[in-house]
Amino acid sequence: MQKLLLAVDRLSTWLGQLFAWFIVVLTFLITYEVFSRYVLNNPHDWNLNVQIMLYGTLFMMAGAYTLSKNGHVRGDVLYGFFRPRTQATIDLILYVIFFLPGIVALTYAGWGYANEALAIREQTFSATALPLYPFKFVIPVAGGMLLLQGIVEIVRCITCLRDGEWPSRELDVEEVDVDKLKEMVHVKDEDIAALDKYVAPANYVQGGKS
Amino acid sequence: MKIRKELWFGFIIMGLIVAGTLAMLISAPTITNGHLGLMMLALVVVAIMLGFPTAFTLMGMGMVFTWLAYEEDTTKTLDLMVQSAFKVMSNDVLISIPLFVFMGYLVERANLIEKLFKSLHLALARVPGSLAVATLFTCAVFATATGIVGAVVTLMGLLAFPQMLKGGYDVRLSAGAITAGGCLGILIPPSVLLIVYGATAGVSVVQLYAGAFFPGIMLAGLYILYVIILAKLKPEMAPPLSEQARFIELPPMTQRISDAVSNRALPALLTALKGSRNAGVPSDYILKQLGITLLPAIVFALVAGLSYRSATEPLDPVAAMQSGGLAEPSGSLREGRGASGGVQEPPGSSGGVQEPPGAGGGLQEPPAAGGLQEPPSAGGGLKEPPGSGVQEPPGASGGVKEPPTATSASTANAAPQAAPERRSASRGFWIGLGVGAIALFGLYAMLSFQRLEVFKMLLASFFPLVILILAVLGSIVFGLATPTEAAAVGAFGGFILAAAYRQLNMTMVKESVFLTAKTSAMVCWLFVGSAIFSAAFALLGGQELVERWVMSMNLSKTQFLLLSQAIIFVLGWPLEWTEIIVIFMPIFIPLLDNFGVDPLFFGLLVALNLQTAFLSPPVAMAAFYLKGVSPPHVTLNQIFAGMLPFMGIQVLAIFLLYMFPAIGLWLPQVLYK
Repeated sequence: MQKLLLAVDRLSTWLGQLFAWFIVVLTFLITYEVFSRYVLNNPHDWNLNVQIMLYGTLFMMAGAYTLSKNGHVRGDVLYGFFRPRTQATIDLILYVIFFLPGIVALTYAGWGYANEALAIREQTFSATALPLYPFKFVIPVAGGMLLLQGIVEIVRCITCLRDGEWPSRELDVEEVDVDKLKEMVHVKDEDIAALDKYVAPANYVQGGKS
Repeated sequence: MKIRKELWFGFIIMGLIVAGTLAMLISAPTITNGHLGLMMLALVVVAIMLGFPTAFTLMGMGMVFTWLAYEEDTTKTLDLMVQSAFKVMSNDVLISIPLFVFMGYLVERANLIEKLFKSLHLALARVPGSLAVATLFTCAVFATATGIVGAVVTLMGLLAFPQMLKGGYDVRLSAGAITAGGCLGILIPPSVLLIVYGATAGVSVVQLYAGAFFPGIMLAGLYILYVIILAKLKPEMAPPLSEQARFIELPPMTQRISDAVSNRALPALLTALKGSRNAGVPSDYILKQLGITLLPAIVFALVAGLSYRSATEPLDPVAAMQSGGLAEPSGSLREGRGASGGVQEPPGSSGGVQEPPGAGGGLQEPPAAGGLQEPPSAGGGLKEPPGSGVQEPPGASGGVKEPPTATSASTANAAPQAAPERRSASRGFWIGLGVGAIALFGLYAMLSFQRLEVFKMLLASFFPLVILILAVLGSIVFGLATPTEAAAVGAFGGFILAAAYRQLNMTMVKESVFLTAKTSAMVCWLFVGSAIFSAAFALLGGQELVERWVMSMNLSKTQFLLLSQAIIFVLGWPLEWTEIIVIFMPIFIPLLDNFGVDPLFFGLLVALNLQTAFLSPPVAMAAFYLKGVSPPHVTLNQIFAGMLPFMGIQVLAIFLLYMFPAIGLWLPQVLYK
């Protein structure tokens, strides 16, 4: 079971990370366009549409990846203080009443929406028309991946309810990785602990609460 | 025991919301769709507080209520959902979010914060409370470039906190300076918060950036002022640096010149160059030092020359406008290209800093030059002046070559229009020039070899970042590039910065790319959810109900602003800024018209206000990041206590902005009216 969960995790991660590289493409594409317009005096009318498609695909496809790393913003004013079982109960209930209907509807509606566009071979309105329907297919694909990942998360909640602790996730790069930052600026744990002697006296004055 | 307190706090807020909703439903004579909308709003806040991912809470709840509003018509509901999603996917304002985020991660990983802090704290050694001031300075610059609160606070907690504690600084003051400084990046553009607000409220991001610039600077300035005053009044909280901490070691060859001739950099280098007294130091070394030493003078000459040119330009607004408009782009591009040579991108931002008045049309104020030169006189002995400095560092052969290009470019553009006779420069120009020259002379009189070393360190850490920020901001604010383009070029600049600091490798790029994907997915999926949610809210007529209710209270403009800011402030406790903006701004913005409030001005107030939320106990994230890297005996309570004065300053800043809206609105008005 755990293997299957991790396999889906890996699929979401792989897809999300694949499309994440669009940001580099986007950076160079726009930089080149700015160069081309101001220096070579040669703007391209299709550029903005390509930019939009790159950006839209990037974030939509990263949705499942972010979910698999528990990266979607949550209000943690209470959540962080609950015990794992309580957390899992809440998550389980809300996955079923909010997540599943919402994502199923989005995927289903997206599928129809994209197929309509495909039927008429929809194109962008710019002078150099680009096919628009592949971009619309991003919605059902991203929705489907999210759904798959969501089911995995639901299984995780159930596992947690049974075991009383969250099943493991694969590690991924984090925004604030304290250990890495410490290494980056060459600070060791001992150095931090050694600082205590500068702090301790202040504490005694305050009544020594610690 | 602590955990209990937190839980109670949350439950009480939740209970209040539920009670309020119930009271409203009971007191209403008949329950209409509008009431349903308000109920949905209350429910969503409660659901978010429970901790389920917000994007999906909004999506799910929005869908259910849309379905109700459409009288259970499934087809319409599905259409609305997919169209909301597609609207976010093809939103051309939001494209800049991943790009700015990417730029932030790249800059963060270029790892120049250590150098930045060291050079700033040496440069500011004589200011009272110098370490805290340097901390705030570093935070302001670094947080602005990266916009990642957690990373900045953690890094400064690792770098600056130990130094301040060792220097005998008060724990609370040190903690306050780090946390408050780290949060500055949320407000000072280019910040993601302003893009999110702009996209939600339909306000131009360009105007928001122009508007938030001075309030952001003002807030940073107030922080610094507070620390300086505190250090003056209570030196025991922030003792001056010891001689040892201030000592700057000279490189051996410089030491030799300094011993053999004198310690005043410019004359000493010139004398040393004269063969007989070469002091056993290779000439090319001396020349290199001399080049760096002369940078401020070169920049000054350049600025003076350029502003003389524009000051004497014929009084033809169209021509002035055009020459500004044409000359700049080439500059802003060179910033991208020329940068590959060195670390800096000079002409780009020299244009960015300088051109503005030209773009404004009208005649050229030399004060532009004066303004640029101000730092030297203000900075006094410090190495600040080259703040105007825009030059390439060492190996400056490129730097010397570049300026002529810039000049010739602007000559080329100016020439055709210069057919009408040139005016003579105004008196203001000569005054500015004189002041600048005196400041420059003073600078060289005080420039010792030690200060030259500090200047070199600043060149390698402070200026690249400031130039990157100013180039990105300048090109947006002066209308040369859309925020998207500027963000992309900024991200490109991040690549170059990382390469220049030898940090550019596959791991680093990979990490930045993946983090960017996750952060953008988080923000943009929130938009997808909130698009569906706000559609439901509007369909149910919740908006009208809120509007009727607010109007029935007969508020004055001030009361309304106070009330709305108070609500946002309170919401800042349980919710994150992203959630507050995407859920609640669509409700507040339509009300603004009734009270004659400019959405731009409101946005600035909201941005300042949400900053406060980052520093308000007990949920302030900044405090927890700092606690994570501080010595075990520093308590959370001490950190919170340290944050309080800074929070007070933020409230003061909101008050100032409210009393003098011009702080925020002056720049957009000058530029876009």
